[in-house]
Amino acid sequence: MDLVAPDSAEPLSQSRPFDLIDAPIIASLLHWRHARTLVSIPLLIISVAMIAHGLFGPEIAPKNLATTLGWVHFRGALVLVLLGAGNFFCFACPFMLVRNLARKVVHPSWNWPRRLRNKWLSIGLLVTILFCYELFGLWASPFWTACLILAYFAGALLVDSLFKHASFCKFVCPIGQFNFAASTVSPLEVKVRDAGVCDGCHTKDCIRGRRESNAAALSKPIVIQRGCELALFQPLKSGNMDCTFCLDCVHACPHDNVGIISRLPGEELMADPMRSGVGLFSRRKDLAALALVFTFGALVNAFGMVSPVYAFEDWIAGVLHTTHKAPVLGVIFGLFLLLEPAVLLGVAAWVTKVWGNVKRSLLQIAVRHSYGLVPLGFGVWLAHYAFHFLTGLFTFIPVTQSAAIDLGWPILGSPRWRLTGFPPNVVHVFEIGFLGLGLVGSLLVNYRLATSEPTGKPLRVFFPWALLSVVLWIAAMWLMAQPMEMRGMLLGSG
Amino acid sequence: MIPRTTFADRAPATLGHRKSFVKGYVCLVLLSCALTGCQGRDKSGITIDHQLSPLPARVGPERITLILRDSTGQPVSGAQITVEGDMSHAGMAPVFTQAKETEGGQYQADLDLSMIGDWIILVHSTLRNGEKIDRQFEVNGVRAQ
Repeated sequence: MDLVAPDSAEPLSQSRPFDLIDAPIIASLLHWRHARTLVSIPLLIISVAMIAHGLFGPEIAPKNLATTLGWVHFRGALVLVLLGAGNFFCFACPFMLVRNLARKVVHPSWNWPRRLRNKWLSIGLLVTILFCYELFGLWASPFWTACLILAYFAGALLVDSLFKHASFCKFVCPIGQFNFAASTVSPLEVKVRDAGVCDGCHTKDCIRGRRESNAAALSKPIVIQRGCELALFQPLKSGNMDCTFCLDCVHACPHDNVGIISRLPGEELMADPMRSGVGLFSRRKDLAALALVFTFGALVNAFGMVSPVYAFEDWIAGVLHTTHKAPVLGVIFGLFLLLEPAVLLGVAAWVTKVWGNVKRSLLQIAVRHSYGLVPLGFGVWLAHYAFHFLTGLFTFIPVTQSAAIDLGWPILGSPRWRLTGFPPNVVHVFEIGFLGLGLVGSLLVNYRLATSEPTGKPLRVFFPWALLSVVLWIAAMWLMAQPMEMRGMLLGSG
Repeated sequence: MIPRTTFADRAPATLGHRKSFVKGYVCLVLLSCALTGCQGRDKSGITIDHQLSPLPARVGPERITLILRDSTGQPVSGAQITVEGDMSHAGMAPVFTQAKETEGGQYQADLDLSMIGDWIILVHSTLRNGEKIDRQFEVNGVRAQ
């Protein structure tokens, strides 16, 4: 029997889900085709300020906009927005603003190479950035942080000036891949409102773009609103993977049939439909690798900030007879991003196959179940980045005041250097909460994946992956309990 | 004084050379606009030496002894000195203390190093004649109690 809403004959189970595009105040903004440009402008201005201060300002991280805004506020706000909404940082991306301006002059003519139409390049870049972050101590270097931001602008400009569509976003951008992985557990998704409306649509503007109304009379139709540049055909799109929330589909759709719809976070990880522009998750080894780098990378990144890592590094350096940090870090990354996932997932997949009687290869089982770790990985990123964000929440104020004084504009007053944020012991409660949410999310996804196996033994399939999730959660809890220690680059220093 | 390490010290030699070149090139190209970011050398010729106790430094009060001398080697008295400690990671709370003159040209401050790790100590001095002098040095590897 369906529950019925009061004063309504419509069952609650069939009530329309929340649509952000219909929300008061926001609706007008999001329906405006230049909304993305408008939101990107302040982020571009902030990026320019970060670059300038990073290159020419004080070379002390807590006193510089590049390091303060980049490694404290941007990272923290990013994960919190992904948790509470969706991939709105890609929506507001300043790199795309510059790229769009450039495309008014330069028109790319090449298609992205077919062999590179996967995530391997972007995964490599993501790992490289994580590696360089540790190797060069980017958290402590305003100059190199500014150079990284500049390189990002240059990379986006170069790639999207040469190649059509959103090649940088879909196949290159490391931050984008992080956002795609994390947004699989976001509560909002860009999707069609009524599939029946799409069935009757013959123009497919959401992906082809909307053309000039008298296009038939023109030798070359003019696209007045582009469609999805990431090849996500809305009627067949499922989930947030590869979606930058650019809303081109919203503005192109002649039937106003695309919204930003609420959903159960993580539900897209539980199913394996054919997804437009993505394919089957179970057949995408690169996406599974992205999920694993996302999850295990979260633990490595947090590990790099706690005291035990320095003793571990010194031990590895002794074994390798080296004082250079690069080979030591290479060993750590190899251990925790390659060997550890291979061993843990290999064992879990073997138990699934033997005990759970799943008639697929170990690799296929590991690929399918790797997505179940994404919620826990997101929980670790949340705990880590939200810690820095919340404990250093107001630090941008004195840094901005100081930067204004450096420019000869003391209009913001003397820097209030004692402004920080919430006490660490208060934030620690949030960390535990985020890790707990991540564990629950992973257990739920893994359980649904287990029940989808046609073996009749879902608990046996579920058990090894649940155990793996718990083991990683325990590791994350141990990490968060360790004293934080930010040190310089010399092995054995202190 | 603990030498400030550069990235060329950390990366393998070839990579360090490339990065030094890039860093030098960027600074050269943009040198005309970089004046606001550079620390200028003060014209007074004042030197500030420092001593730390205890060593190795540990979490908690760290006694910093500062010795100010002029260009002729004579102690400089009557300066107002604020000592600031910053961690190497942005978003961490800085710590402040005032230094007191214990004898001619020698000042002492007890700075509460609140976390383990690497610290950057900033010395903000205002001389009797109003001249301001800033210095910084690093305290690496502060350990737990």
